[in-house]
Amino acid sequence: MSQLADALASLDEDEVAKLVHEKINTGIDAMSILNECRNGMDIVGERYKSGEYFLSELVVSGEIFKESMKVIEPHLRAGKQADTLAKMVLGTVKGDIHNIGKDIVNVLMRAAGFEVFDLGVDVEPRVFVEKLVETEAPILGMSGLLTPSFESMKETVEAVEAAGMREKVRIIVGGGVVTELVGKYVGADRFTSDGLKGVEICKEFARELK
Amino acid sequence: MTTDNLASRMARLQAAINLEEGDRVPVSLMMGATMPCRYKGISQGELYRDPVKGHRAVLEVFDELGGYDAAGAGANTSREENLLDAPMRIKVPGRDIPEHDPIQWEEVEVLTHEDYDKIIEQGWNDFMLEFYPRFRGWDPAEYTTRIEAKATKDIKQQKEVMKVWEEKEIPVYQVSYVNTPLMMLSSCRSFVPFTMDLYRIPDKVEATMDAMIDDLIEISIKSVKVMGISLPTGIPAKSLVLERGGSFYYPLRIFERFEWPYTKKMVEAFIDEEIMPILHFDQDWTLNLPYLKELPRGKCICQFDSCTDIFKAKEVLRDHMCIMGDVSPSLLSLGTPEEVEAYCKKLIDIIGEGGGFILGVGCSVPTNAKFENLKAMVDTAKNYRPTRAA
Repeated sequence: MSQLADALASLDEDEVAKLVHEKINTGIDAMSILNECRNGMDIVGERYKSGEYFLSELVVSGEIFKESMKVIEPHLRAGKQADTLAKMVLGTVKGDIHNIGKDIVNVLMRAAGFEVFDLGVDVEPRVFVEKLVETEAPILGMSGLLTPSFESMKETVEAVEAAGMREKVRIIVGGGVVTELVGKYVGADRFTSDGLKGVEICKEFARELK
Repeated sequence: MTTDNLASRMARLQAAINLEEGDRVPVSLMMGATMPCRYKGISQGELYRDPVKGHRAVLEVFDELGGYDAAGAGANTSREENLLDAPMRIKVPGRDIPEHDPIQWEEVEVLTHEDYDKIIEQGWNDFMLEFYPRFRGWDPAEYTTRIEAKATKDIKQQKEVMKVWEEKEIPVYQVSYVNTPLMMLSSCRSFVPFTMDLYRIPDKVEATMDAMIDDLIEISIKSVKVMGISLPTGIPAKSLVLERGGSFYYPLRIFERFEWPYTKKMVEAFIDEEIMPILHFDQDWTLNLPYLKELPRGKCICQFDSCTDIFKAKEVLRDHMCIMGDVSPSLLSLGTPEEVEAYCKKLIDIIGEGGGFILGVGCSVPTNAKFENLKAMVDTAKNYRPTRAA
């Protein structure tokens, strides 16, 4: 494990900032710095799965990753943006303004290498569909905490179907009270109430789509 | 079969709290007004504008369900309780969001780093008396008058509601809320910035919590006493909102430093004042369960929302603390009556074994819970008797 990956996995915010700046200033390829950060995030994910880390550590590492990206991103060569696993459209569904879970997933997905189009909260089915058309993203992630959000998720899946895109788009729903029953009811492919598990599922989607 | 009355329902409720087996498992729904209003065709905006319509709808649904064993009353009413409300922005149906959407709280960073210093210097109450009117955009000179007027109106309304429950011979336990310091700060700073504070400036966060706790306890006790709930018609109680401090969010070392000492202090102070603490757990607290054995036996209710493993909770808390829960929001809103009945029977069989269980919903009744599912829940509690091994 590189020193940078280790610092990120250890949530050492100051050390990560110092190393990222040093590496950028010495002309090291931005993509390789980014990959070191991603390696650090992978270790955080493993520690979360093993029970050593908790959601708070995912959040802290995600914030450190976000800060690092601000420094790294401008140095990625034009035309050679960060390698992406897949595009994803993400949002909290119509009638629900809860953003915490969705925002955490956004950071984790980016750190895992997805290109995320985050539509925010209270997103109409039509807006999800338009973004899927515009970006040709093959993954749709919908979040919701309130029980009325289940209807909005269902409406959105139906809108994707009506647009003739259901075969091309993998759909995952998530949120604090999202269960298998909810996943089936809304017609999603997968469900989760765990942000990192959501990332794992989307990685499976990405592999299936290759 | 004898007809239920206030005494039989109270005996059933108290048996559960005292960890004994009553004549059957009691059932109590945390029935806010959002589901009854939706069910009765009253918009969520109308409920916000005229809460009395909400109370009426709750009573109508209660009657249509054939009644249940205990009711809550006394949601944030008193002048003191205004200080317990986390200052969060609300989205009001019909004003900020569509007329039929339920009211929502927008979690944004309303407290800043500088506010930590002010709370440390002033304590929670004095800080809020200065901060709250500024936050709401009210003239500070009018603040006290405004809050007094609201409190007088709310208390009058709640006492009327309590009188109705008394006439119906339904015991009332108060369900007004207090946030633990961690929950309060997490709500007002918002989750991600607050989490970063816990890792970046833990000593300052701890000093802030130390400056808050006595004020939160003092105003909580006052807020319960002002309602005048007492036996034999009701049980004075206070719900502690426990969501953010548990193992779903944080490792135990954070829980042990920033959540548990303050929760314990609140619980012990309430019990000293003969106020029953209701520990309202949202999200998964399974890893935190063993700590609850440090609290006095048979004095609290632990309410789970379906995310904590309630079966594990029974193993850990058996003979120590009454458990309430945990028919999930998804089951109540999407499941069938048969599925609800099967799950309630499972809860009565396993969690009810040996006593100390109140059948309840996970968190509160969700806005779009199906009436027939609530009915299945209530009927199962009333009619199902498990066969216990001899």
